[in-house]
Amino acid sequence: MSQIALAADFALIIVVATVIGILVRQFGQPTIIAYIATGVILGPVVFDVVTDEGLVEVMAELGLGFLLFLLGMKMRFSDIRDILRPITNVAVGQTVLQTALAFLVALALGFGTQEIIVISLATVFGATPIIVKVLTDKDEITTLPGKIDVGVLIVQDIYLVVVLAMFSAENIDDGGEIARSLAVIFAMIAVIGVLSYASSRYLLPKLFRRIANNKDVFLIVAIAWGFLFIAVAESQFHGGIEIGAFLAGISLAQLPYSKELEDRITPITDFFILVFFATIGLQIEGGAPALFAHWWEAIVASLVLMIGNFWIMFYLIDREGFAVEPTFLASINMVQVSEFSLIVGALAIQQGYIGDEILGYLTLMALLTMTASTYIVANNHRIYQRVEPWFRRFGSDDDQDADLATYEDHAIAIGYDDITERALPLLDEHYDDVVVIDRKTEHVEDADAQAYDHVFGDFRHTEVRKAANLKGASFVLSSSVQREVNRALLDEVNEEALVFVEAERIDDARDLYDRGATYVIMSTHLTAEMLSEYVEQYVTDREGFDETITADLDRLRRSDREPATGMVGDGGEADG
Amino acid sequence: MAEGIVIDLGIMFVAAGALLLVANHFRLPTVPFYIIAGLGIGLTGLIEQPDLLMLAQWGIAFLVFVFSIRLDLGDVQSVLREGEVAAMTQLIVVAPVAFVVGYAFGDLFGFDAPIRNAVYFSAAVTLSSTIVGAGLLETEIRDNLVHGRLASTIHFFDDLVAIGLLLVTSAAVITADLIAMSIGYGVVIILAGLLVYQHGFPLLVRAADGSDELVLMGSISILVAFLAAAELVGISMVVGAFAAGIGIRNDETQALAVANGIDSIRDFFVAIFFVTVGALVSIPTLEMGAIALALVALVIVVNPIVLMLAFVFEGYDTRTAFFAASGLNQVSEFSLIIAIQAVLVTETIAEPMFDAIILAAAVTMILTASISRNERRIYEAIVPRFFAEQRTDHVDRNSRTDEGLEDHVIVLGYGRQGRRVVKTLENLEHPYVVIENDPVIQTRLEAECQRYVFGDAMSTYPWEKSRVDAATLVISTADHRPVSEAVLALSDTSDADLVLRSDDTDEARALLEMGATYVVVPDILAGEQLFEVLEALLAGDRPPSSLKQDHLDTLSELERYGFSTLRERF
Repeated sequence: MSQIALAADFALIIVVATVIGILVRQFGQPTIIAYIATGVILGPVVFDVVTDEGLVEVMAELGLGFLLFLLGMKMRFSDIRDILRPITNVAVGQTVLQTALAFLVALALGFGTQEIIVISLATVFGATPIIVKVLTDKDEITTLPGKIDVGVLIVQDIYLVVVLAMFSAENIDDGGEIARSLAVIFAMIAVIGVLSYASSRYLLPKLFRRIANNKDVFLIVAIAWGFLFIAVAESQFHGGIEIGAFLAGISLAQLPYSKELEDRITPITDFFILVFFATIGLQIEGGAPALFAHWWEAIVASLVLMIGNFWIMFYLIDREGFAVEPTFLASINMVQVSEFSLIVGALAIQQGYIGDEILGYLTLMALLTMTASTYIVANNHRIYQRVEPWFRRFGSDDDQDADLATYEDHAIAIGYDDITERALPLLDEHYDDVVVIDRKTEHVEDADAQAYDHVFGDFRHTEVRKAANLKGASFVLSSSVQREVNRALLDEVNEEALVFVEAERIDDARDLYDRGATYVIMSTHLTAEMLSEYVEQYVTDREGFDETITADLDRLRRSDREPATGMVGDGGEADG
Repeated sequence: MAEGIVIDLGIMFVAAGALLLVANHFRLPTVPFYIIAGLGIGLTGLIEQPDLLMLAQWGIAFLVFVFSIRLDLGDVQSVLREGEVAAMTQLIVVAPVAFVVGYAFGDLFGFDAPIRNAVYFSAAVTLSSTIVGAGLLETEIRDNLVHGRLASTIHFFDDLVAIGLLLVTSAAVITADLIAMSIGYGVVIILAGLLVYQHGFPLLVRAADGSDELVLMGSISILVAFLAAAELVGISMVVGAFAAGIGIRNDETQALAVANGIDSIRDFFVAIFFVTVGALVSIPTLEMGAIALALVALVIVVNPIVLMLAFVFEGYDTRTAFFAASGLNQVSEFSLIIAIQAVLVTETIAEPMFDAIILAAAVTMILTASISRNERRIYEAIVPRFFAEQRTDHVDRNSRTDEGLEDHVIVLGYGRQGRRVVKTLENLEHPYVVIENDPVIQTRLEAECQRYVFGDAMSTYPWEKSRVDAATLVISTADHRPVSEAVLALSDTSDADLVLRSDDTDEARALLEMGATYVVVPDILAGEQLFEVLEALLAGDRPPSSLKQDHLDTLSELERYGFSTLRERF
């Protein structure tokens, strides 16, 4: 290696994607569009300056892996268990019905037999990355429709593994061999699943309790855990990256530290998934000609499939007894053709079942439906509001529903230390809920013991602030002396809330008052004041002094909490 | 195939993760364990991919990028203000000595480019590690102890020197012309970075319109652009990363989310970097062992000694000097970067030298952690023997006090609290002596205090000089356990009441058990006041606006007394 070549391809993708992303943002569109467009522009279709090989491919795979890892971390076993049976029914039904629909459409459009088979198998899948990313950005991934979609997508992923295995098999006619390898694959998935569950109950809590206080170790060990599953799964079967990552993520979801972890893994995911979306466009072999070879068929098929898929999903989910709104939302999120269709298509080309233009057709359908559905998913609630009156006829009385517990008009304490501890009982009397945000594992138990709600994490992280519902709080107490943290706090909190913050320097205090703080605690100045008062008393009135300090010392001896070895941010005053 | 690389990454991370658990258990720094993980993987020959080297280089880029984002102009000033003698001494004394030793090895073992190898050797000896060193000193820096501050300014200085070195050694052949050109390009690129800081980055934030994701990607795009520029003109990509980091502002609200994002991405790539570095080490040879041994000896023993002497010369007391110097006894990760650049770009480093530097880095990083835990014991055993007599002279020369003092108050530490107490005592016209050991505050002491003793509170002479045997009260404003315990030990020679300070209630209780008269716990005091204020507010007795106004008035008053602080760090 004569030059440190920083993978110009990958670098170019990032820069172009950012530029397009900013442009797209000005028009209020979701950033995914920009990323997909980047791939189309830089790839064979337009400029053809970048390929999806080497580092780019690695990053795309990592992106998918991290995305599913993150996804797993947001789910809990209990969530899945509740809706497992309905999900499986829906997923199976959807696969069958959608395959049939795609088959009919392809037949009507006049493709050849082998082509029809490949097309109908390929276009079944919903686009996991798009749905997950858009829903996560809108914070809807853990709502009921979100969970239904995720459930169906995961089952589809397993189905994808099956299809990939079929296409990768040496001899597609040898049913026995295929059956054998499928059996092995399912066994592996089952084993990994069991490992995931078992470790989440026995191994992980102990492991992470020890390391959660050490930020760096915490992150890397979590990533290592994800990679462990990924590596094992991928080495055994194609498509293992996704499933392994998801199961690894789920095992971590049960820990109280998962919010913090989510927040640290998200930027890494965002970074890699950008490349992944770009590679969709990069994979268009044969350039523009192949892409547009069957353009009008693609448009027709896309429309039919989008509408058809919606109704298929709606019918199936409704059958399971969910209420109208979640059914609608879950269905409308899934109307696209996934990039997995491209993977299936690529494999099919390798085996010689189809030609480039069919792959182009599949790609064009994927691009059209993904673009359309990105907007649809981003605006799913608005669409529902428009059509709600018409859909209400589908509702019935014995529908299930989900509800999410959120905090409202509550009190939040950031950092669990001597200062906040004193105030908590008082807050508890005045507010229904008191939420403590803290980054020390010991404090998790303390706060639980006192029956305050607890969010483990660093206040600087968005996920943590969302979990505590900062925007809806009526009172916030911050024991961090860091300017940026308190400023961010004052920016985000709603205007009527009472906010108490801490500062070390008078300028900072003034600045915080300007930004809307109700009161600024200044422990250093306070201490200096009190200390000099005590000294004065010592010099002028010894007995008074003795009395005062005896009272103080009693109070000190009575408190018996864990030491404040560190709060959110730094350790407070820094001078003597 | 991409999957293969993903599996390789998996192996790397799992190995690293497993070893990190060990590191966490023994409370040792993480970096050496990454290297060890790499060593293990390299020896078993599991991984063999050039693409991994690429990822590792992104680790370098992010490492330097984040380092440079966190840079503060104030840090530069602080170096110029203190520690400049020691920093210079390092370069003038230690570096040449190490160079000679390195050259001797090169000659002995017949390296191709003995001068360049000597330079790499010298860099490894002289420069100390920010990540590990700063990690170990975290508490001291946070408590603003003098030696913590001192060590961190030297670290910072070393890092800047490293970047300069990287710039200069990035050419395969060193001629005066090439060096001049490299420096020229480097300056231009850094200036471009400053331009981005002024105009480019605010523009990005505005264009991103509130999207954290876009600001993050935009920041990384800036990094990419600078890396490409550096590559284009043929200088080290590290300079590009450094300049890019200068361009990123880190003092805004948005900065919080971006900082988190970049930190996480950096941690990911940096782990890959260190593991890869370890994996590049080949099977140990005698030559490598000899060089490594020499490196470790120089780093652990010689470098600290020289630094310590320099600190003492600058006016710091021996304890501070020792502790600061012992925070500087590891091989810097920048030396590793220099070595990697030499391997990958210029191919000018001999294999045993490269291996030795990596090995020495891992060893010294682990050793330094264990040394810092036994710092005090080592200090007690070695230093006083050599320095005893001179120290009392130094204290005498720099103090101003009255031998016949009686019934006075001794104030330990002249920070905000110390100053407030002294002001009260002067108002009451009560005799006092201040004990302080920070040279930076010396002028203030001279100007404002009637009586002071300039010395280290952990030695006995300053206390003798301040007539502790005749004092009635000792107030310690230092929140540092060893200091508190040293004060408590005074009860052998004095009947004075002892008021200490602690930020930790458990520690406070322990100190009380050990005989303190009173322990000030700032947070408890603040908590009390908060309770009162809160109670009044929630009960509706005081409207929020009056609360704010009253407090602002108090603050103005405090400022008039001169208790606001500018950029004061103490």
